[in-house]
Amino acid sequence: MTASLELRAVSFAYPGGEPVLRAISFTVAPGERVALLGPNGAGKSTLLQHLNGLLLPTAGQLFVGGVPVVEANLRSVRQRIGFVFQDPDDQLFLPTLLEDVAFAPLNAGEPRAQARARAHAALAAVGIDRHADRAAHHLSGGEKRLAALATVLVSRPQVLVLDEPTGDLDARARLRIVRLLQERPETLLVATHDLEVAGAVCTRALALADGSVAYDGPLDRLRADRDRLGRLGLLAAL
Amino acid sequence: MGFHHLDQYAAVESGLGHLAPAARVLGTVLIAVAAASLPPGAWLEMGAVAALVVALSRYAHVPLATFLLRATVPLAFLALASLGVLLLAPGATVARLGPVVITDGGIERLGAALLRGGAAIGAGVLLVSTTRFADLVEALRELRLPAAVTAALGLAYRFLYLLLDELAQVQRAAASRNAGAGRVPRRQLLLGVTASAATRSFARSERVHRAMLARGYTGSLPSLRPQPLDATSWRALLPLALLLAALVVSARVRS
Ligand SMILES: Nc1ncnc2c1ncn2[C@@H]1O[C@H](COP(=O)(O)OP(=O)(O)OP(=O)(O)O)[C@@H](O)[C@H]1O
Ligand SMILES: [Mg+2]
Repeated sequence: MTASLELRAVSFAYPGGEPVLRAISFTVAPGERVALLGPNGAGKSTLLQHLNGLLLPTAGQLFVGGVPVVEANLRSVRQRIGFVFQDPDDQLFLPTLLEDVAFAPLNAGEPRAQARARAHAALAAVGIDRHADRAAHHLSGGEKRLAALATVLVSRPQVLVLDEPTGDLDARARLRIVRLLQERPETLLVATHDLEVAGAVCTRALALADGSVAYDGPLDRLRADRDRLGRLGLLAAL
Repeated sequence: MGFHHLDQYAAVESGLGHLAPAARVLGTVLIAVAAASLPPGAWLEMGAVAALVVALSRYAHVPLATFLLRATVPLAFLALASLGVLLLAPGATVARLGPVVITDGGIERLGAALLRGGAAIGAGVLLVSTTRFADLVEALRELRLPAAVTAALGLAYRFLYLLLDELAQVQRAAASRNAGAGRVPRRQLLLGVTASAATRSFARSERVHRAMLARGYTGSLPSLRPQPLDATSWRALLPLALLLAALVVSARVRS
């Protein structure tokens, strides 16, 4: 079976900066649920942005569903990957939620009526269709997260990539996102600092340290190994 | 953090709601153009246009208090800007305030400017009180404004709120460090806050652009719900246009 995601020795440095990713390799099988862990600045967001070609590696190769992530394939790669950004305000830029959610289907050339119906369905799937005609600045932080999720679910991606999906959410909003993610059938790659969220949603962990993969294995085993968590910068006792 | 109060417009259940937004925009433009083409001295017609605007706003269920509140600031600006006319227009002297001479011509011009401008402002207030921003953008698109302009407007709406948020955050950060209390001149402080907010906004627009690309953005913002000028809208616009034309013609003939 073709891997959902495959990275072969991917390296990256921002222009004029130190390398952020150093020869990263891993594969993710369809339906797998992977937590991408690492302290602030480990390179999680940078790695995620390679998956849909927002950043292109300085060395190495990536494949999404077997398709190489190169300039010529960006359209089909981006249709396969649903990318939820760290800050939902970056993802909601149109006057109403409905328009934001219909943005991707319309870009893909779908007829308006169909795009509209699917946008409503996606908003309903995350439980906020009643806000369809509101502007994002009238929503709570939790609702914005759900809306951002809807903007990618609407395209029925094969892989969901989420950057800190529960960052600065209160307990209830966090639970709501976790419950939703637990139900999703897609392949999941979730960057997070929150080991509890990771544990509730994912089964496999990938930990980044100094730009390399420092752990790749069952999440349970990592969570049980407090020494290792400490060394990876994922646990700091108060 | 929010600036919701800026967005309370268009919440009224409007009697004009069945008209296409583009028709409401056109109607507003018609009223403004008609008001502007009335010659000074055509008091009757100016009064008629103003009365028309008030009647429309009653019909649209815009509460009078809301209507006046929203019109106050632009009206004050208008009055201030029109003061020059009062002092500069030639005519027979009516009053003297020290070195300032007020003429009958000046008073007439000021009255005309206020009435005509007021009618146009009233029509504008009526428009934004009955039409959501999203629909306004859609209307401009319908009226064939260049796609680049309508796309920019659509994005500007959200950006405005994000920008205000950024500005408020930077300001709070500065205030919580007692900015302005020490020896740093206020001007320098303002410069710092502005620069910092601008940098953050620039980074924000970069991230938004990425988010657009990630969802297949190809350079055009496709419209979700075109609201074309339908027969109902034309049927409403036609009598309005005729009425306004009649007023303008009658005023021109009389003067
Ligand atoms: N646009 C950029 N230009 C230059 N350097 C950057 C840029 N974005 C990130 N970096 C740097 O790359 C490194 C990795 O950043 P990245 O945002 O990928 O980390 P992260 O793991 O997502 O951190 P966090 O948990 O704080 O979100 C950091 O040292 C950061 O300073
Ligand atoms: Mg990050």
